[in-house]
Amino acid sequence: MGYEEPVTDYDKIVENCTCAFCGSNCDDLDCLVKDNHVVAVRHACRLGASKIMEDEDQRLKVPMMRNENGELVEVEWETALDAAAELIANSVRPLFYGWSETSIEAMKPGLELTELVGAVIDNQATICHGPTVQAVQNVGYPLMTLGEVKNRADMVVYTGSNPMNAHPRHLSRYTTFPKGWFRKRGRYDRTLVTWDPKYSDTAKLSDIWIPFEENGDYEFVNAIRAVLKGKKLKKDVIAGIPTEDIYELTEKMKNTQFGALFFGLGLTHTLSKQRNIDIAIQLVQDLNKYTKWVLLPMRGHFNVNGFNIFMSYEMGFPYGVDFCRGYPRYMIGETTTIDLLNRKEADVFLVIAADPGAHFPSGANMHLVDIPVIQIDIHWGPTTELADIVLPGTFIGVETAGTSYRMDSVPLNMKKAIDPPETCREDEWIVTELLNRVKKIKEASK
Amino acid sequence: MTYIDKPSISNVIKFDELNVAKVDQLKVMLNTGTDIYQGACKKRGSTLKDEYRKVAGVAYMDPKDMAKLGVGNWDSVLVKSDWGAVVVYSAHSRDAPHEGMIFIPKGPWANVIVSNETYCCSDPTYKGIEATVEKSDKEVLLMADLMKEVYQKYTKKVKEVD
Amino acid sequence: MEYILKNGIVYDPINEVNGEKKDVMFKDGKIVDNVSDSAKVLDVTDKLVMPAGVDVHCHLAGPKLCLGRLYRPEDERRGVKPKTDITRAETGFSIPSCPATGYRYSRMGYGTVVEAAVPPLEAKHTHEEIIAIPNIDIPTLPLFGNNWFVLQFVKEGNIEDLAAFVSAWLKITKGYGVKLVNPCGSEAWGWGMNVHGIDDPAPYWDVTAREVIRGLAEANEMLGLPHSIHVHPNDLGHPGNFPTTLNTIDCMKDIKKNSEYRNQTIHLTHAQFHCYDGTSWRDVTSGVEPVADYINKHDHVTMDMGQVTLDETTTMTADGPMEYDLYELTGLKWANKDIELETASGLVPFIYSGRNPVHSLQWAIGLELALTIKDTWKVALTTDSPNAGPFIRYPRVISWLMSNQRRMEMMDNKEVHSWAARKSSLATLDRDYDFYDIATITRAGPSKIYGFEDRGHLGVGALADIAVYDLEPNNFDPSINAAAVEQAFGNALYTIKDGEVLVKDGEIVKVVSSRHVWSNVQGFEDEEKRVIEQIMPMFNKYYTVKFENYKVHDHYAEPSCEYKINASK
Repeated sequence: MGYEEPVTDYDKIVENCTCAFCGSNCDDLDCLVKDNHVVAVRHACRLGASKIMEDEDQRLKVPMMRNENGELVEVEWETALDAAAELIANSVRPLFYGWSETSIEAMKPGLELTELVGAVIDNQATICHGPTVQAVQNVGYPLMTLGEVKNRADMVVYTGSNPMNAHPRHLSRYTTFPKGWFRKRGRYDRTLVTWDPKYSDTAKLSDIWIPFEENGDYEFVNAIRAVLKGKKLKKDVIAGIPTEDIYELTEKMKNTQFGALFFGLGLTHTLSKQRNIDIAIQLVQDLNKYTKWVLLPMRGHFNVNGFNIFMSYEMGFPYGVDFCRGYPRYMIGETTTIDLLNRKEADVFLVIAADPGAHFPSGANMHLVDIPVIQIDIHWGPTTELADIVLPGTFIGVETAGTSYRMDSVPLNMKKAIDPPETCREDEWIVTELLNRVKKIKEASK
Repeated sequence: MTYIDKPSISNVIKFDELNVAKVDQLKVMLNTGTDIYQGACKKRGSTLKDEYRKVAGVAYMDPKDMAKLGVGNWDSVLVKSDWGAVVVYSAHSRDAPHEGMIFIPKGPWANVIVSNETYCCSDPTYKGIEATVEKSDKEVLLMADLMKEVYQKYTKKVKEVD
Repeated sequence: MEYILKNGIVYDPINEVNGEKKDVMFKDGKIVDNVSDSAKVLDVTDKLVMPAGVDVHCHLAGPKLCLGRLYRPEDERRGVKPKTDITRAETGFSIPSCPATGYRYSRMGYGTVVEAAVPPLEAKHTHEEIIAIPNIDIPTLPLFGNNWFVLQFVKEGNIEDLAAFVSAWLKITKGYGVKLVNPCGSEAWGWGMNVHGIDDPAPYWDVTAREVIRGLAEANEMLGLPHSIHVHPNDLGHPGNFPTTLNTIDCMKDIKKNSEYRNQTIHLTHAQFHCYDGTSWRDVTSGVEPVADYINKHDHVTMDMGQVTLDETTTMTADGPMEYDLYELTGLKWANKDIELETASGLVPFIYSGRNPVHSLQWAIGLELALTIKDTWKVALTTDSPNAGPFIRYPRVISWLMSNQRRMEMMDNKEVHSWAARKSSLATLDRDYDFYDIATITRAGPSKIYGFEDRGHLGVGALADIAVYDLEPNNFDPSINAAAVEQAFGNALYTIKDGEVLVKDGEIVKVVSSRHVWSNVQGFEDEEKRVIEQIMPMFNKYYTVKFENYKVHDHYAEPSCEYKINASK
């Protein structure tokens, strides 16, 4: 990729747009708009830019359903919505999954529909930071907003995550590089530490890299806790790390003024799952006896945290909530998506703003072969290959305004920069239509 | 601008020059997850294209491991685990050295070989999976073809008609 | 729609109506003095009628609550109720889901509840939750006591700019009044520290709580806000903290009030947590006497109780260091949430028990306060919900206040530990509140404290927010019937909000949207604009959101109930 000339041919700039990609929700993007198209975007990282400058070839623009040969063909909105509503209204165990890449406004009718038909509602947390939520429920959650790190932190630790790949502006906008109130020199006033088996792109930038061995995360953190509590380590090497390095690191962590620990799916996806997070949280709690430490999970989608917040305030539980008994029930491993699919329990699968085709293990996706799948999304993706009804939504944060919650739970109103394609409909509208149609079918059958 | 043919990979070591014992099958630990190329391509929506196959249908390996197998960048390898088998490209990892470990970015290819077991924790096991890698002469499938082959959701019905 | 509420026994302290048998008439959501013949008659002959309840201090909507729900599914699983044709499902005990919060307040006959702590950065979240809570009006108090701009203005002694800042930020957050929580202490928590007493400066800032409290109070009075500053003083929950409490209210005595409706210039919140004598949890005793004595002698201060209800609950406060202390004390799971440039906050579950000496003493101190402060207009009933207990226990607290017999019974038969009687004066206080006093501390007083001229009373023109309870004051002695009092106040016969019947016989019959109540200061626009321009470089550099995306947009605060305040007077 060589040098590209800056884009100068545009009608207007829409300032302070919020990026609809990762949980960093950068809200300083400037979209350059010409003829109702975003022709360039300023301040975004490679990920954000690629999403906003979308691939229009694969944009879902019309509702589609399968014909008798199993091919997706264009149908009228009425036809598609009625067919979807019919499937939902007549199902016994509907499962509504996704929601992390749409707005809170679209979740509201979604929850209403869930309550009406007694469905299970779940989001991507179920396959990413679900174990984090469980750990939080075990041991607590010492958090902060990202500006606290920017203004105060002199030590920043990343583990089980690689922000330079997954949250590219995290270091530059929030944690490591920016100049803060008490950290006037920015990067020079901070120690950046990465604990990761791999020499990841983030490790390459770090002052200290601790390459503990694969699946060694629990043991390593446990050793730090032991040292912190004044215990002597009895082995020379723990989780692949020489003990003197562990002593040295512990001392450094104790002697910072303000430390922040960020962790990602590297901790939640390995075998120890929530226990990894348990111990990481307890480490931070222990460190607070000596100095100030906080932590934050690196949330992936721009509104994955939003869904957990939304469900918590509406119904008291964060994700995987089952309404089949007329009241909300939350049982990890029972009312959660992968488990419902593994057990072949769901009989209709509505997926909105998510891509299980790309992100669920095939063993779970196999059940989608046997049941009808309704997809609400903006691009033709792997899930479309499994979908029976496809409803084209609009792009939150570019074509439609809406509310989202950043990884640190800061709420943001995402503005719109351009109008959506004429044949597409907002997620909120689609879900509300489904709700109204299901209501009608239910009333008629009374 | 954000479009790419394939991720930029440095050719770290010429495998034929290296003094390593050749093996037919390599035992490895498989990790999956996101990387920036996969993320950009997926969220842009270019999943039907060759680019997606190049960014997600690829196993990033330690150059030494590749030398042992006798494969180079963008050769096909077959990765097998207890949950399935899939053909992906091999490529030198940017994060090497990490002998005995391979990384496949999340996507339909990785899904075939990761575990759907949640151990009652809601979350499947995407990382730290035992797998084997061997040379393959098969072509890596494009996303749509892979989905058809793996799931056969609509092809089955056609067969029944026949 | 016209209604006539017939033959009730009415307690309306603002209009000095004390148990008169009379009709209450209302039309189109307002109280009127006559209605036509076609008015609908609600016969409440001999039943207890009051204005709908006004809660001065509760944590019911916002980021802390949500964090609590997220990390305490064990609490959410208590209080589960399936959906009905009218209501949605309910969950939660100390931190109920939003719908449950609205229904439960409505069933108790409440109409207005103040959300007592809102970090401005996350005010949108609070308003989103208010949208999800039905049936009550909700004013919010944004947090100012540790805000960096406030510290800066206070340091410069620049009260006029501080007032303009407060005025602008109330508009930006759609907030109602000024809240201070552990001023300077929560900023110190940014470094894992705390301040002690009101003259201990925040690290690096060289500003003390005394200066912040006085500065914000002067700004508050310069603007003539309907509510005074609402203060959670330093040293909450520490044995021997009563001198800090006294210093906090005493440093305010020369501040001139600028409001005709309210009497106070400082509201001391959850006073129970601030009235401890002694030096440790071993020798702690009640510190109520000096504080109550001060309040009895001075009119510039009001308080609410923060009554401990002896339940398993969830503590949550913007007093971050206090929550960490609590975690060290109990070992229960600790959550924390520091907000950039604004505040800290924390949560810890807490299990209050009558078997525990300290908890029993805390229980006694709350009641002791309410019973030793002579003027009930200075007292408001709260449990600092959910900190000292969930708000659904208000009826029980009412039953304790109304019955010395019940209090003595609890102390005698060991429902509470002997410390309650030994270390406080509760066992010597035989005062019983009557229905007029209860109406004062749950309706009239709170509405005066907040300057709500349109609610908390049944005078002509007031909002038709009315509660009717299934008690007949003329044939009933509350001092010997505590259980019946609790039952009645927990299940209103009628709850009427804006002239609509929302609750009948303790059940929700109608669900309406809650209004977002906020203060819109008029006449300070130029100053606001200047101050915003002045602080914008600092804002852009140290916040992590853009100013445009920081504010609460109008659509988050719909339906809104705006109090226009003329600052020029």
